[in-house]
Amino acid sequence: MKIRDIRSEAVTVGELTQAIKGLLEEGLGSVIVVGEVSNYKVASSGHRYFTLKDDDAAISCVMWKSRSLQNDPREGDRVVVGGRLTVYPPRGNYQLDVHALRPEGVGDLYATFERLKQALAERGWFDAAGKTSIPTMPRRVGIITSPTGAALHDMLTTIGRRNPLVEVLFRPALVQGDSAAADVARAIAEMDAAGVDVMIVGRGGGSLEDLWSFNTELVAAAIHRATTPIISAVGHETDVTIADFVADVRAATPTAAAELVTPITLTMIQADIDRSAKRMCDALLDRVQELRRLAEGFIDGTAADRLTERLHLRGQRIDDVTGRMQVHLRHRVQQLTHLVDHRQEHLQSMHPYRPLRLGYAIVERNGSPIPASAPLAPHDEITLRRYNQTADVVVHQVSATDLSSNPHHIQHGQENSSPLD
Amino acid sequence: MAKKTAPLSIEDHLKRLQEIATILDRGDVPLEEQLQLFAEGMDLAATARTYLERAELRIQELSGPLTAQPDHDSDL
Repeated sequence: MKIRDIRSEAVTVGELTQAIKGLLEEGLGSVIVVGEVSNYKVASSGHRYFTLKDDDAAISCVMWKSRSLQNDPREGDRVVVGGRLTVYPPRGNYQLDVHALRPEGVGDLYATFERLKQALAERGWFDAAGKTSIPTMPRRVGIITSPTGAALHDMLTTIGRRNPLVEVLFRPALVQGDSAAADVARAIAEMDAAGVDVMIVGRGGGSLEDLWSFNTELVAAAIHRATTPIISAVGHETDVTIADFVADVRAATPTAAAELVTPITLTMIQADIDRSAKRMCDALLDRVQELRRLAEGFIDGTAADRLTERLHLRGQRIDDVTGRMQVHLRHRVQQLTHLVDHRQEHLQSMHPYRPLRLGYAIVERNGSPIPASAPLAPHDEITLRRYNQTADVVVHQVSATDLSSNPHHIQHGQENSSPLD
Repeated sequence: MAKKTAPLSIEDHLKRLQEIATILDRGDVPLEEQLQLFAEGMDLAATARTYLERAELRIQELSGPLTAQPDHDSDL
């Protein structure tokens, strides 16, 4: 609901109240108020109701049972309260939801907080330059918190669920009371010395007093001194402490801190393994297909032709050879022969026997062509393979020929023999 | 509290697995080597998967002088 609308047209009481609620709760938010306590009452539920007033005004206050309070204030006490303004629509009134209450002047926590914050900021303890980043895959995580609080349980559950490969080093610490600051500071130093990749220092929500140890210079100094990256996780999202400013990273809650130290989850690692496995399988399949193509190429085109030429030239010997082959090998040859038959047409143009039709002959010995480089000698027994005849002949006489004088002839000679070498 | 540790760290497993996948992806190794790498990679993937399935959060306690109270650490 926009204010503008309310002004320009009639609205319901509910709509107006919602607008007021928005204005007060979001517009003012957290406030610190000084005033005099009046009509202080503790209801049977344990909640405390009172009015805070001064000479000019008064405001209703409530302090829920869950908020810690050391001593009930007396009528007329001047106090400092911290809290949030809330609107209660059914009655159309507003009140202050008090988080903390202190006698005025005596340990004004907010003032102390502001003073320390200012001082440490001037020392440069909050500077971004001094912050260490959290490792992307921490292996050992240190946790400093109360051993009995929900914060520990939340963090362990979250880490265990997201990445149980992480090792947790837990240092129980007092997070509330007079010795809390000293113990937390000592725990930070111990954890820093213990050698963890990152540490979480924190506790669950509570009043300003409950969280006070995290607003001390003692704890701030310990965080500042530590070399291990530190995540502060104090209270709820709305609670901000000095420790949050000094720490390398502030997590809104202990659970959020646990998520920060497990940026890589088990599910992500598993997905990564699956991806790697798939890449390997794909690569192998690609290779097999490539080999298959290569093999097909081999019994295809020129390579196939060469194979067929051999098969044809060796004629009857194939039967003998295949007779000694394993059955599957013979089958393979039959397959190849079959494949070659299908390419007969193509083969016609390429066939080395083609020149034989023109009258050329292949000079063979023992069924194989004699390469041009092998000299013939008288009495050699050779075979002349013609187009439609073979002739067994004995060499009578040999004489050298000037090869360069008849290049055309040489070319044919090489063509006839080269595929068979 | 500490449970048994893995013989080879999971990080090493994953690193080697990535390495193998990358080599195979490039496809420039001889077939023999490729088959060997593939077998190694599949073994690594299987081991890593089993390891992850059995992973349990390990929690150690660092005791502080002020806080080492018997009622605190019994269930941690």
